Amino acid sequence: MTELAVELKDVKKTYRTGPIEVPALRGISLSVAPGEFLAIAGPSGSGKTTLLNIIGGLDRADAGEVLVEGRNLQLLSTGELARLRLQRLGFVFQAYNLLPVLTALENAEFTLLLQGVPVEQRKERVQKLFSEIGLANLEHRRPGELSGGQQQRVAVARAMVTEPALILADEPTANLDSATATALLEVMEHLNRAHNTTFVYSTHDPLVMERARRLIRMRDGKIASDVAHAGQTL
Amino acid sequence: MVGVLLLVKIGWRNLWRNPRGTLLTALALGLGLTLLLISLGLLDGSHEQLVRNAVRFGTGHVVIQAQGYQDTGSLELLLPAQVVSTTGEFMHGEAMKHVLRGMSPRLLASGLLSSAANASGVSMMGVNPKEERAVSLIPQRIVEGNYLNDDQQSGVVIGAELARKLAVKVGGKVVLMTQAVQAPATEATDADEGEMQSTLLRVNGIFRTGIQAIDAHVIHLPLPEAQGLLGVPDRVNQVAVLLEREGDSLMVARSLRKQLTGLPVEVLTWRESMPTLAQSFVLDEAFNYVMNGVVLAMVGLGILNTILMRVLERRYEFGLCSAMGLRPVQLAVMVIGESLALTAISLALGLVLGLGAQHYFATAGLDLRWFFKSSLPSALVFDPVIYSRLSVARIASSVSTVFLTATAISFYPALKAARTELPGALRVF
Repeated sequence: MTELAVELKDVKKTYRTGPIEVPALRGISLSVAPGEFLAIAGPSGSGKTTLLNIIGGLDRADAGEVLVEGRNLQLLSTGELARLRLQRLGFVFQAYNLLPVLTALENAEFTLLLQGVPVEQRKERVQKLFSEIGLANLEHRRPGELSGGQQQRVAVARAMVTEPALILADEPTANLDSATATALLEVMEHLNRAHNTTFVYSTHDPLVMERARRLIRMRDGKIASDVAHAGQTL
Repeated sequence: MVGVLLLVKIGWRNLWRNPRGTLLTALALGLGLTLLLISLGLLDGSHEQLVRNAVRFGTGHVVIQAQGYQDTGSLELLLPAQVVSTTGEFMHGEAMKHVLRGMSPRLLASGLLSSAANASGVSMMGVNPKEERAVSLIPQRIVEGNYLNDDQQSGVVIGAELARKLAVKVGGKVVLMTQAVQAPATEATDADEGEMQSTLLRVNGIFRTGIQAIDAHVIHLPLPEAQGLLGVPDRVNQVAVLLEREGDSLMVARSLRKQLTGLPVEVLTWRESMPTLAQSFVLDEAFNYVMNGVVLAMVGLGILNTILMRVLERRYEFGLCSAMGLRPVQLAVMVIGESLALTAISLALGLVLGLGAQHYFATAGLDLRWFFKSSLPSALVFDPVIYSRLSVARIASSVSTVFLTATAISFYPALKAARTELPGALRVF
C-alpha cells in the first residue's frame, strides 16, 4: 500500500487574541495521495492558509493528527520540523518569495546549498529546471529585475529543485494577471506530471480551481466539499 | 561551511541594499575608532614626552639614594662611598652597558644665592659636568654663556628666572650660602658641622627649561665645590641613572637592588622617586578608559541600532528563510555575518582615518601653544608640542576591542532574528 503524502485526522486550530477566540480549523480530516494536484478553495477566513501552514509544519494544530509521509508533525521538535521542511517540503507564497539580494539562480539553489549538495550538482539541477520552466538566461537577474510571473516561477523552481515529496503553494497566482497565472499553473502541472510531485495549493480564483484534478472547498474552518476533476465527489 | 559562506554572502549583500546608509553608519563607527586612536596616540605620546623630560630634569629613570632620603630629604643621609663605584662598575659592565645611557652622582642641598641686587632660596646640585651632560637636559638648555666645563673647579649655572630675579648676567658674581652637613659622629668633615658656609661663584651660564620651578630655583655647580662647601669630600647623596628605554627601569632597579644588597641605600624607579607624576599617569589612564568607554558605547549603539533596524525591517525574509528550513542558529549567523561585515568596513575606515591622523600628530605634533596662546602654565613639565606615539600593540588592542564590542552587541539582533516566529512572520497581507 502506497504511503499517503498527507493525512489529517480531525485537525483543529483556534487563534487567540486576548479573550477573543477565533476558530480557524474545526476538525479537518483529509488524505492526499502522492502525485495529486490539489486545490483548496474558499473565501478569505475560511482556513485555507492555516491548513497549508499546519500541513507544512509552519504552525501546529491544537488537536488532531497531521501526518506527512507518515510522520506525525505534532511529535516533531522545532528543529526536526525545520529539517523536514528543508528536505521534504517546498513552499511557494503569494508574493515576496525570493531573497532580494540573491540572483534567480542563487535563490533557486538556496535550499540545495543548505542541504550540502555539491556545486556542480546544484548548478546542473537548477539549470535543467530553469530550462524546463522557461527561465533560461534569467539566472543572474535579481528579483527586482524579474516580472511577477518570473519571480513566482523562480519560487516554484526553488521549491522543486530539492525534489520534495510535497509542494505547498499559498495563493501563488493571487498577484498575477490571468495569462501569467495560467502560465504558472501550466508550469506547476508540468512538474507535477513529469516528476510526480504532489502539489497542494490554495486559491479563490475560479480559473485556477478548474486546473486542479481535485478541489477541496472550505467554509468556516470545515471542508464543505471534496471533488475530483471529473465532478465525482470523493 | 558552504552554508555559512552563503549566509555571510547574504549578510554582505544586505548591507549594500542601502549603500548610503551603510557608508554613513560605517563612517560614524569608523570615526569612533579614529577618535580612540587619536586619543590613545596623544596620551601615549604625551606620557612618553613627560617621562623623557621629567626623568632628565629630575632623578633619571632609576635613582640610588641613602636609605630614607626619599621620605626625609635629609642632607645628612649621604650614600656610602663605595656605592658610586659599585654602581658605576655594575652599570658599565657587560650585563647593563647596552641599556645605560648615562649616570651622574649628585650632591643636593638647599641654600641662599645672593647678588648685589637680591637674594633667593635655591636647590643646589653639585655635579660632575661630563656625567651630568649625559643625564640631564639642563646642559642642553643653556641660553647664555656655557654649561660647566668638565674640569671646572668653580662657577655656577643658574636658571633664567633666577638670573632675572638676582639681576645677574653671565660673568656676574653671586654668593652661595648653605649649612654644612652634620655628619654622623663617626665621620669627620672638613667644614664645621652645621655651621653656615658661603662661597663666591661666578655665573658660567644661564639656562631656560620653560619650567618655572627649575628656572627659578635650580643651580648647578661643580661637585668638588659643593662637597667642599658642605664639608663632605668625596660624598654624594644621589646617583641618577638614565637608560636608553624607559621600559627597562624596573629591571635595572631590581638588578641594582640585588647588587647593593646589605648597603643602607634605596634604589627607586622614576615612578617611585616621582610618585606624583606616576599617579597623574594613572589618573590620565583612568580618565582615558572612561573616554574610551564612551567611544565604545557610541560604536556599540551605532552597530546595535543599524543591525536591529535592518533585522526588524526584514522580518518577512527571516520568516521565508525559516519556512525553507533555515534553523534559528543559521538565521543568527546571517545577522552576525552582516554585523561583522559592517564592523569590518567601519574598522577599515577608522584605521585609514586614525592612522592618517596619527601620522600627522606624530610628525607635526599637536601644538598646545595654540590652546594656551601666549601663557603656558608655569607648572608645565612637558614640551608644548605633543607628538603622538602609537604602538602596534595599542592599535591591535583598540581594533580588537572595537571588533569584540561590535560582535558582542550584534548577538542581540541575531537573537531577534533567530526567534522569528512562524507563521506570524509570513503574514504581510
